This record gives sequence, structure tokens and C-alpha cells, in this order.
Amino acid sequence: MGVVVKKVELSWLDRTYVWPVMKGMSITFGHFIRNLFTTTAKRYTIQYPEMRHEMPAGYRGLHELKRFEDGAIKCVACFMCQEACPARCISIEAEEFSDLNITQGFEEKRPASFKIDMLRCIYCGMCEEACPKDAIWLRNNYEVAAYDRLSMQFGKWDLMNTYADADGKERISQDPTPTVPRRTIVM
Amino acid sequence: MDKLASLLHTTPAIAWMVVKVIIVFAGVMTLAAIWTWVERRGSAMIQDRIGPNRAALFGKIRIIGLAQILADGIKMFFKEDLIPADANKRLFWIAPFLAFVPALIGFAVIPFGKSFVSGGVTYHLSVLDPGNGMGLLYPLAIGGMAVYGVLVAAWSSNNKWGILGGMRASATMVSYEIGLSLAVVTVFMTTGGYDPSEVIGAQGHLPWAWNIVRQPLGFIVFFTCMFAETNRLPFDFAEGESEIVAGFNTEFGSMKYSLLALAEYSHVMTASALIATLYFGGWQVPFVKDPTVMLSVACFLFKMLFFAWVFVWIRWTLPRFRYDQLMHLGWKVMLPLSMTNLVFHAWRMSQGH
Repeated sequence: MGVVVKKVELSWLDRTYVWPVMKGMSITFGHFIRNLFTTTAKRYTIQYPEMRHEMPAGYRGLHELKRFEDGAIKCVACFMCQEACPARCISIEAEEFSDLNITQGFEEKRPASFKIDMLRCIYCGMCEEACPKDAIWLRNNYEVAAYDRLSMQFGKWDLMNTYADADGKERISQDPTPTVPRRTIVM
Repeated sequence: MDKLASLLHTTPAIAWMVVKVIIVFAGVMTLAAIWTWVERRGSAMIQDRIGPNRAALFGKIRIIGLAQILADGIKMFFKEDLIPADANKRLFWIAPFLAFVPALIGFAVIPFGKSFVSGGVTYHLSVLDPGNGMGLLYPLAIGGMAVYGVLVAAWSSNNKWGILGGMRASATMVSYEIGLSLAVVTVFMTTGGYDPSEVIGAQGHLPWAWNIVRQPLGFIVFFTCMFAETNRLPFDFAEGESEIVAGFNTEFGSMKYSLLALAEYSHVMTASALIATLYFGGWQVPFVKDPTVMLSVACFLFKMLFFAWVFVWIRWTLPRFRYDQLMHLGWKVMLPLSMTNLVFHAWRMSQGH
């Protein structure tokens, strides 16, 4: 079965070809003038190093390991994220660190090292969902690049300091001794 | 001029000639180079993009991306110059020059400003003085030669895409030449001479006496045919990227490619100068009866650059024609139209207008 192609009947003005061309030229010239008098900041193009795209809420970018107000890491080294990770890029080593115990409202376990291989990570956010302590977040930094493979192995302190400047926190490189109980347990 | 001539141990006439040649050809080449940038920035503006604005002098002075021309030029010079194994080497070397030289020397007869008298000697602002016996037939003849550049480039590179592009382009150029020539003949007829200074003088300084108002049909035909002549969109059959890779310059690289690209833009400049001379009164300044030399040069430059910009503008407005549509337009529309134009003006002249 053939398809009936509808023929468009052009008016005599359109068939001269000169008039439609002039119409088209007026459209392109309108665009030209509009762009000529628009400052670069207001154009559609985001000029990358100077301008950055504002990432939407819920964007899964670079990881952050969260900390308490006193600077102690929230992570309790439960290995849930390591288990959940489909790319198997997280490797944790746990350590015992406190004389104070859980009944007194303190954690007694923390990661001695927390490594994420950013070359393997697929930014799926499964670690964030698996975490029972809300200790690992994926936030909006999408500029993850380096000149060599080694600098893409993010350690515990890299992950804790990722957003320190953006949040106005100070960079830390040592675990502070916890002083304040994390929670009160009703016995 | 006399001082310069005595300094160089030549006559003032020769010194003036050398100065003119340098100014005209260096000027046209510079404008052609700048126009590659105008094309890219202009197309970007038309398509709501930004275009090349990053290239900077010494990494600091950005000057709205104008350094891009320099960067491109340097890059082109230092790229490897490959010649395909099966190419005809001699023709492959000659082809860019065959394309570039006709595009440039067509400018020679066009007066780009008012003639002036200094120390009892008349200086003409065109490389070939008026009354040289060639007049505007010369750029037409040279324009016909431009097809060799494209064809030789296509043939010598021994590439099927190249040959297809070259064949299509040469067929286009040949079929549009006739309509173009007839439109120009009408101008010669109404002027009573084919010397560019006569054509300009006959048009006068009033815009409604220019040939665009007297022969609008001829202008449309001439303008359209100029697009085919310069191989620019909507008639760029030499290089239909979507159909035949890059067309006639598929195998060309480094400075050879650069020369072919420059040839196109030089051709655009020459074509714009021709349009300005034939239909827009050349260096005549509207409503100014006796302009100064500088003003006339500025006015000519303005007209020429405006039409060069129209070439860019049209390119980013219209899509490419289909080949059969192009042939249809050339033989069945443009040729009868310019014939009609010629006969109409011949009739008017016979009626004593």
C-alpha cells in the first residue's frame, strides 16, 4: 500500500523564493542581533571554567564522610556500604578506639582507613542508602579528575575534607577524641 | 610618492603601482583571513552559540577571539603536509594556487576609491588604471578560471569524493556563468561601456539612480549566481559535508587546505566588491556629490564588507540545494530571468529612455 504524500500548495509569493528567503534572513538576523547585545553571562552557553552549572538537589557527585560537631567521624565501620557497593570500590579497615562504650552513648568502632577508588566508583549512591548512620553522602561536586591513577584513590581524610571549604568547616587530618555522648540510651 | 620613488630609485608611477598592489592584495588577504573568524562568530551568534572567543594573545589579551586567526594560521603552517600515494603530485601541489590566485587577482580592476590629482598627476585607486581595455570583463574571465582550481584539486587527489565534489562544482559554476554574464551585459548596455569607472560614474551619487533600483531583477540574478560562482552555501556543491565527506578538498591538509579555504573567502571578497561596483555605485557616497578620497574608500569598504557579511548571513540561513533543484534553478529560472532583464532593458533603450 502506497502512502499518499500530501503536497503543500505554495502561494505565488512563496514560489518566488525571494520572499521566503528574506523572511528566513530576518529570523536569523533577529537571533544575531539578540545575541550580539546579550552579555556572555546571560547566554545559553555556560562558559565552563568561569561559570559552573548549578547541580540540582539529589545529584550524585563526589562522596563526603560526615562528621559530628566536634569533628569525630560519624562512620562506625559497619561495612554496610562496602557490601552494598556494586562496583566494589570501597575498602574499609575498622579499629576500636574508645574506653567509653555504647551504653554510655559513645561509638567504640571507627574506620582506621576508608578508601574509595574513584576510578571504579559509578556514583550510584548505594553506599549512601545502605549507611545506617548517614555517614556517607554523595554531593554535588562533579569535577573528579586527576593526572594520575594514584590521586584517584581517595582516603579517609580526603573524603572527610572534600566539602570542608564549601561548608566553611576546617580541614582535619586527625581523629579528635569524642567528648560529648552521641545519644542517650534509655536503659 | 615622489620621495618614496626617489628613495627606491624608480619612477613615481612604478612606486605607486607597487604600493597599490601591496595595499590591495594584502588588504584582501587580511580581510579574507578575518572573514574566517567573522564566519565562525557570526554563525555562532545566529545559532545562539558563542563561537571562538578563547584564543588570546600571550594567553591574556582576548580581543573577542580575533587571535583565533593567528592561532589557526600557525597551526596550519606546522601541520604535516601529506600527499596521498596515488595522487598526481604535480597537480596536487599546483591546485591550491590555481584556486587562490584567480580568487585574488579578480580584484585588480575594481576601483576602491575616487581618483585624485596630486602634483599634476592623476592617481587611480585601482590596480589596473581605467581605460585598460579589459574593464569588468576581466573579473568575469578570471571568475571562470576559478573552476580550474576546484577541478584540479579534485582530480589530482585521486579520491572519489573529491572527484564527485569537483564535478558537481564545475557543472554548477559553468551553468551559472551564463545567467551571471547576461546580467552583467545588461549593466554594460545601460552604462554604454564596460570600464568599472564608467559603470560607477553612470550610477552617480544618488541611491535611486544606482543599478539596484534600475535593474532589481538583474541584481537578484547576479547575486544568486555569485553564490554559485563562489561555491558558497546554498550552492556549495564542491563540499557537501553530508553527502561527499569534504568534497574537493578531502585529501588536502595543512597549508594546502588553508589556501583552499582562503581562496573561498578571497572569492567572497572579490564577489562582494563586484556587487558593490556593479549595482551599488562602487565608491560613490550616497548624497555626497564630491566626496573626499578617504570617505569614498571608507564607503566602498563598507559596501563591500556588508555584502561579504550577507554571504555569511545567507550561508547560515538557507540549507543546501539538491543538485537537480540547482540545475533547474540555473537553467530554467536564472537564465530566462536574465534574458528577460536584457531584452527589457534593450527595449527601453530603443524607446529612448
